[in-house]
Amino acid sequence: MARLRHGARRLTDGILRPAPVTVELDGEPLEAYPGESLATAMLAGGRRAFRATRSGAPRGPLCNMGVCFDCVVLVEGLGEARACMTAVHEGLRVHTGLQGDGAG
Amino acid sequence: MEQAEVAIVGAGPAGLAAAALLAEHGADVVVIDERPRAGGQIYRQPPESFGGEGLPPGRSYAAGRALLAAAGASGLRWQTRTLAWGLFEPQDAGPVPEGAAAAWVVALADDGGIRRLAARHVLICAGAYDLPVAFPGWTLPGVMTAGGVQAFVKSEKLLPGRRFVLAGAHPLLLTVADQLLHAGAELAAVVFAQPAPRLSEGAAVAMRLRGRLTPVLELVGPLRRLRRHKVPLLFSHLLRAAEGEGALEAVRVAPISPGWRFVPGAELRFACDTLAFGYGFVPSTELPRQAGCSHRWKPREGGWVTEHDDWMRTSRAGISVAGETTGIGGAEQAAEEGRLAALGLLRELARLDRGQAARAAAPVRRRLRRRRALSGLVQDRFEPVYGALGALADDATVVCRCEEVTAGTVRSALATHPHLGTADAVKLLTRVGMGPCQGRFCMLTVASLIAEATGRELAEVGAFHARPPAKPLPLWQLATAWSDPS
Repeated sequence: MARLRHGARRLTDGILRPAPVTVELDGEPLEAYPGESLATAMLAGGRRAFRATRSGAPRGPLCNMGVCFDCVVLVEGLGEARACMTAVHEGLRVHTGLQGDGAG
Repeated sequence: MEQAEVAIVGAGPAGLAAAALLAEHGADVVVIDERPRAGGQIYRQPPESFGGEGLPPGRSYAAGRALLAAAGASGLRWQTRTLAWGLFEPQDAGPVPEGAAAAWVVALADDGGIRRLAARHVLICAGAYDLPVAFPGWTLPGVMTAGGVQAFVKSEKLLPGRRFVLAGAHPLLLTVADQLLHAGAELAAVVFAQPAPRLSEGAAVAMRLRGRLTPVLELVGPLRRLRRHKVPLLFSHLLRAAEGEGALEAVRVAPISPGWRFVPGAELRFACDTLAFGYGFVPSTELPRQAGCSHRWKPREGGWVTEHDDWMRTSRAGISVAGETTGIGGAEQAAEEGRLAALGLLRELARLDRGQAARAAAPVRRRLRRRRALSGLVQDRFEPVYGALGALADDATVVCRCEEVTAGTVRSALATHPHLGTADAVKLLTRVGMGPCQGRFCMLTVASLIAEATGRELAEVGAFHARPPAKPLPLWQLATAWSDPS
């Protein structure tokens, strides 16, 4: 894949994650671990921009504690949700409205 | 409608300590927290699905483990993954069941919709969040708060980038740097606005601590490890800008005066994909402000803090506060305040008489005095220079991230309307603070810009008016109406 990946990676030393599941991000599969946040799964998958503002500026997670609302994505069945406060589970379908995933 | 004697908002150190003590004396308590697990930000636990121990082993999390264990064993009612978004007087919150001795109705929201909780007392332990600073480029993906980066590492077990710069003015930066190094991250630089610490200063602090050196030693270890890993450590430098095409690629830092103004000297540029900025913390006061509790501007303690009496009661009957909401003081101080608030409530609920409460409170007050002396030392050295931070925003810098209002727009509004003197007035004119974060991330910058333009004090400029909901709710949630049986 010609996707630009930045350096985010999951730590593995001494950590017992459950079996991974697949969620759908902008129509593409994304590997994720149940219980981790959607922001974690997106960053680990190489995403940097999570949304674009009305002026088109890219934005990503800033506070990672649910107060800044800059990591908001559209989650099917839930509506607009903060990626940092949304736990991942199998079958989650997410839309950012950004084309060319990872370009940001 | 669900009822409780005490509704505690926030399951961090203050809320946990209060909850355990209240439950120990038989009070009927509901603990509300937005996250799936208790602990707050400082003791934020990994997801339950990750198995193993919640908090990492070691001395620094021992207090957190003890608080979680005590609260976990005490038979409290927990409402996690639940947002407390409003405090209403009973007559304003729909029909209240007859005979309910409710002073306040706490409006809640979760994945099922919105609900109400009628409580005789509300104890707000809402914590704090990283002090937002609007510098050029701070909206780029890859720019995060130090607390946010730390939460990714310690709770999500994720390194959110490869090459990090940490910059700001708070000792938390050293802790985060240490945790990042331990996790195998590359650190491009750690940058402090303060001048390099002097040995004489360390000795003076040690004198005032009267030999209790743990707080000093907690910083020495990380400093030593940064040196061993040859991480550039800069003092008297301030973050000037973040740069990148579509996402963060580098940051620029420059030398400053003791008043944090840029001085001539070499600007340094560090390539990085993640910036953690940490200048301090802001108390979360949305709920007590919404309820009309009185607040005071205390810049050394993080800005606007909720005022309270010596039993942690606010100016509104039935609402108490504890922890960072009352001013930034750290986890141990928060826990002691939580205990004091709980004793005050037990006294009001007549579960302890006055004498019993006073006797039980005496050792708590003693410990609290020591904690406040210690946090005062931290505040002395690490108080942010708000005016200088506000001046970092050039005219093109977005100040209100939600509504994309620039510092230039705010400055020209102030120039055109010289009568504008409060945060609320500038909000009405420019839309700053009207987006989903509800002003949490622009309020202090806007206040600094107003102070700069008008010569008023930050205390006079005031805070944005806080209204329900304390955080935005999707319409479908509000459309469920009260889902609780009344």
